Amino acid sequence: MEAGTPPLISLKGVSKSYRDGQVLALDDLSLDIAPGEFVSLVGPSGCGKTTVLRIIDGLIAPDRGEVLVKGRPPEPTYDMAMVFQSARLLPWRTVAGNIEFVLGLRGQSRRDRRARALALLGAVGLRDFADAYPHELSGGMQQRVGLARALAVEPEVLLMDEPFAALDAMTRETLRGELLRLWERRRMAVVFVTHDIDEAIILSQRIIVLRPRPGRLDAEVKVDLPEPRWQTDPRGLPAFAGLRQHLWTRIHAMGREGAALEELASVLGDGPAPARDTDRHR
Amino acid sequence: MGEATPGDTGPSRARRRRGVVLWQVGILLALIAGMKVLNMTSGDLVMPSPEAVLRQSIEMWADGTIPFALGQSLTVLGLGFVLAATSGILIGILLGGFPFLGRVLDPYVNAVNATPGAAFIPLIIVWFGLYAGAKIALVWIAAVFPILINTASGIGNANKDLIEMALSFGARRRALFWQVMVPDALPSILSGLRIGAAVCIVGTVIAELTMAQSGLGGLMIRAGNRFQMDRYFAVVIVMMALGSLITVALGFAERRLGRWRMALREGG
Repeated sequence: MEAGTPPLISLKGVSKSYRDGQVLALDDLSLDIAPGEFVSLVGPSGCGKTTVLRIIDGLIAPDRGEVLVKGRPPEPTYDMAMVFQSARLLPWRTVAGNIEFVLGLRGQSRRDRRARALALLGAVGLRDFADAYPHELSGGMQQRVGLARALAVEPEVLLMDEPFAALDAMTRETLRGELLRLWERRRMAVVFVTHDIDEAIILSQRIIVLRPRPGRLDAEVKVDLPEPRWQTDPRGLPAFAGLRQHLWTRIHAMGREGAALEELASVLGDGPAPARDTDRHR
Repeated sequence: MGEATPGDTGPSRARRRRGVVLWQVGILLALIAGMKVLNMTSGDLVMPSPEAVLRQSIEMWADGTIPFALGQSLTVLGLGFVLAATSGILIGILLGGFPFLGRVLDPYVNAVNATPGAAFIPLIIVWFGLYAGAKIALVWIAAVFPILINTASGIGNANKDLIEMALSFGARRRALFWQVMVPDALPSILSGLRIGAAVCIVGTVIAELTMAQSGLGGLMIRAGNRFQMDRYFAVVIVMMALGSLITVALGFAERRLGRWRMALREGG
């Protein structure tokens, strides 16, 4: 990797198990993400998508393998920010106060925080709600605040864990557009976890398909659709339909396998069954 | 009354609240009437007449008996509560912030908490005597544990999602604790304070009865011992009013400070 641009994020042979090794969440996953790249992780539930994000963010350490972000082991500090499925705003702070909170964690002076929070709220169209409390906002607006909060720390890597999954279709559509526009402008790398194939194709440049139980790489698909996509909806293009078809076949096949495994596990009983499963896979 | 739908309009809710108040006043009048009937059928010793209680109340307020006793009681109650609140919250934060310490001390905290405050009276008398200091000590030991336990458990059960969020933005231990876990525990701390205040009232009266007689408790037991039931009732009414006032005030504070919680519950 010495030649060319080094990857911003690099996972090599990463494995992680939970419950004292009983459940293998990730098995030997390798993955490189370039600066400014928009990558989606898709796959059925149980494929360890969220675990990958946590490992990249440094919230948890892998059991085996190497994780490097900008050539260093990751730490949840300056270069990364996370957006969660629920907005996870502090309910006792105002909207602006929530953004000021993370700016404070990053050591920004009290005076700068307010101005910066307002600027970011402006970027997501919520400037008028700066002094509202989170519970006064709709789910979509809360999620926008979550996005603004993540952008506030000027991350080089934006980690997004099914951020639009809990929203209604209209809001989801709007927020996708906003995300693409913000990404266009700032060009941070985005690692976007979703179980929505269409969403993955619309947003990302590259899609990584994971297999479940244990999570491992199934396929990498490059998305060669015209950009910027917030101007023209790619869903009408034949290339979109082709990609969609391709990804669905892969996931469907996995789903059938996964279902079979689950049935087997319930027959074998609760305790050691998952361990036996993972043994077989190794 | 059949249309208790969630889509309540303002006027109908106001009308229902008026109905509640009307009923409450009705019950009060019925109680006074009941007193009167009992007084006429069974005599002054069983139940003083409402007029006599009113007359005694006015007299005792006017000649300074009740204000003086109320002052004594409020001193014990107030100092005991402030001490219990500050030390309970501080120790609770400590136990919540250092879970190891909390787990180690758990059986001791529970043992003392489960002991009735009155069990400490002989020890407190030996250590602190019979006067204000001893009474405050009794109030403190009775009230500190519910406050402490609520604080510690509020911090221990702080929202895991918010903690993970703060960690993902690089929060260090101190910021995480003071800016996420403690504020998240605030509603729980406040309900601890409300329970503690109720315990303080009980503790104050018990202290005034069992140690040097003073305050409202002392006034009450003296009237009772002399079978001056009208005086006795005049004091009991003050105690009731005091207790209600404190509970209402703390409930109000709890709703105000914990309003994001309430909003979450209401808004779904």
